Amino acid sequence: MSSPVLTIEDLRVSVEDKEIVKGLSLQIKGGEIHAVMGPNGTGKSTLASALMGHPAYSVTSGRVTLDGEDVLAMSVDERARAGLFLAMQYPAEVSGVSNANFLRTALNARRGEGNELPVIKFHRLLQQKMKDLNIDPSFAERYLNEGFSGGEKKRNEILQMSLLEPKIAILDEIDSGLDIDALKLVADAVNQLRSPQTGFLIITHYQRLLQYIVPDYVHVMMQGRIVKSGDKTLAEYLEANGYDTLKRELGIVDETVGAEA
Amino acid sequence: MSIKTSAHSPLVADLASRFQEAPWLVQQRERAFALYTSMPSPKLEKTDLRDRPWLVESIPSATTGGAGAAAQALLEGAKAAGGAYVYVRDGVTIETSLPHSLAKQGVVLLDLHTAVDQHPEWVRRHLYSVVPAEESKWAALNAALWHGGVFVHVPSGVRLELPIHFIYEETMTGKGGLPRSLIVVEDRASLSFAEAYLCHGERQEGVVHSAVTELVVGPDADVTAACLSRYGKGPTNFFTRRAKLADNASVDWVIGDVSDGFTVGLVESRLEGPGSKSTTRSFGVGYGRQRLDFTASMDHFGHHSESDITLMGVLRGRASSTYRSSTHIERGADEASSEQHDRMLMLGSRAQADAIPMLLIDENDVQRCGHAASVGRIDENQVYYLMARGIPRAEAERMIIWGYLQPLVDAFPVEPWRSEVASWIDGELNLR
Ligand SMILES: Nc1ncnc2c1ncn2[C@@H]1O[C@H](COP(=O)(O)OP(=O)(O)OP(=O)(O)O)[C@@H](O)[C@H]1O
Ligand SMILES: [Mg+2]
Repeated sequence: MSSPVLTIEDLRVSVEDKEIVKGLSLQIKGGEIHAVMGPNGTGKSTLASALMGHPAYSVTSGRVTLDGEDVLAMSVDERARAGLFLAMQYPAEVSGVSNANFLRTALNARRGEGNELPVIKFHRLLQQKMKDLNIDPSFAERYLNEGFSGGEKKRNEILQMSLLEPKIAILDEIDSGLDIDALKLVADAVNQLRSPQTGFLIITHYQRLLQYIVPDYVHVMMQGRIVKSGDKTLAEYLEANGYDTLKRELGIVDETVGAEA
Repeated sequence: MSIKTSAHSPLVADLASRFQEAPWLVQQRERAFALYTSMPSPKLEKTDLRDRPWLVESIPSATTGGAGAAAQALLEGAKAAGGAYVYVRDGVTIETSLPHSLAKQGVVLLDLHTAVDQHPEWVRRHLYSVVPAEESKWAALNAALWHGGVFVHVPSGVRLELPIHFIYEETMTGKGGLPRSLIVVEDRASLSFAEAYLCHGERQEGVVHSAVTELVVGPDADVTAACLSRYGKGPTNFFTRRAKLADNASVDWVIGDVSDGFTVGLVESRLEGPGSKSTTRSFGVGYGRQRLDFTASMDHFGHHSESDITLMGVLRGRASSTYRSSTHIERGADEASSEQHDRMLMLGSRAQADAIPMLLIDENDVQRCGHAASVGRIDENQVYYLMARGIPRAEAERMIIWGYLQPLVDAFPVEPWRSEVASWIDGELNLR
């Protein structure tokens, strides 16, 4: 199996006719971990949602390819089956659909017709993965995300990621709402998947997560663009100094999307 | 051509002679027929019946052909679930089967005509006692001309493990189905029954189907009453199902309708006894140009009586449904409590749903009365979430719809029938 490549070229994304992502380029290869940081409201989740194909976000120009395939031409489910995964900042709740049933349907959709995992094997795999993430076995039969705490929802996102083994995993604030033990479990799950077969885009506000998941690249987003890239020391610098020094250096007064440089 | 007002209706006379009926019954039929002809076809709150024709011409004495696919599946299900059933097609009793284990316990399961002969006191005491002829034009029609029907009697203290099934099938031979089920459950007894009403209605304009179920539940007895219906387009369909509960009795209704017909239905519990309890769980799937006006009602008379109503409707195409949950706490029903939950899901932009919660309270001392109603469409955020995990849209929608329906379908007490209903739902919602 060859190593995947996600290429984003000059991407522009609008919500309700307002441009949020304003020309963003980035390449993520299998084995690489890219962290995206940046103040609130600078377009990080918008980028993630647009890559996954959320209907509220329209791509007005630019190109996105996964292993040369045009991602923007694919429906949401096709993107997922092609190997794109987004751990969402706010996962939906679906009443009446058990977590296990959902996971099995998702996994079999990813594996493709004729290649479904037998039920027994699936349950064995699920139990193991749940144990790794310290998720109580009762969560298999609970309705999808319904009544889950913030941290439980995040762990459930990671459970899905480790079952689906995506080519490119985008994690949007996976660390929010996690206690320190859960943070380590989540980091373990990411590190376990870390291989030339998977590339990561990790959106976070906190250096703490990046101590456990050490990134190869760190990018800072402001006003819907990447304004600075560096290695892991950039994250350490931001943690120590905040965004103000960087803004001054770049001549940015208001970093949010609406404002212009 | 409809029947003119007549004290000596030829249709009543026909039934009286065909079944050699006792004078008391013939008199009741005549009285009901007079009521039927004198009552107007009304305009209900949400449904106008004034222009609906009432074609009541003749009562077939024979039926042709075999069981349809759905009836066949339910028959096999009834056999698999213990073999206690009655199968009626076009008003003609085809088969009655009571396993020895039930007969031994003194359970009576007969078609209603035979029961009038064999158990006249019981039938005379209870028939029309729960659903009287005067309550509506369609109740009067059934009271006058019911044919094909079931009688069940469960003696004191007998607690049945096996469910009893009634299958009523209306083919194109029939000129309007008028089945009547009379179920009497004595004190401390326990019964679970499942009733299905299958109508092949296509193109039978003007025909009227009116089904009635009367359920008499004695002190400390409990009943699970599960009713399925499939109505086709063309006829006007009515169902009236009511239970009367004595002290500490309990009745759990599970109602499922998968239809594209024009239907007015009522399911009601009269909580007469102190401490009596009832629940109604109902799921409806409407498609085509279905029109359903459905009321689930709880009428509290008894001290400390309790009720709970959950209604769930899924509508596609141009279906239009009104689901009314109605709770009436009468004076004297002190410390009564009730809950109502209504959820409607519309698929596509042309389906319509109304959820009407009603609460009438004539008693000051009430424990709790809650209601929640929602009418909406499939949540696109949920669809997106499932699709983001590789699940195609159609499958994602199917999962979400079944997420709504599953808890109610699962409440249906007979497993083989449950899977049959699931396949109807998948078929009609194009989910297969
Ligand atoms: N669905 C939407 N409808 C309307 N506005 C939106 C929508 N999604 C994003 N926006 C707007 O786009 C801008 C960027 O939002 P986005 O969620 O991408 O920021 P973010 O960088 O992820 O912020 P945070 O760090 O707070 O999560 C904000 O002004 C936000 O209000
Ligand atoms: Mg965000």
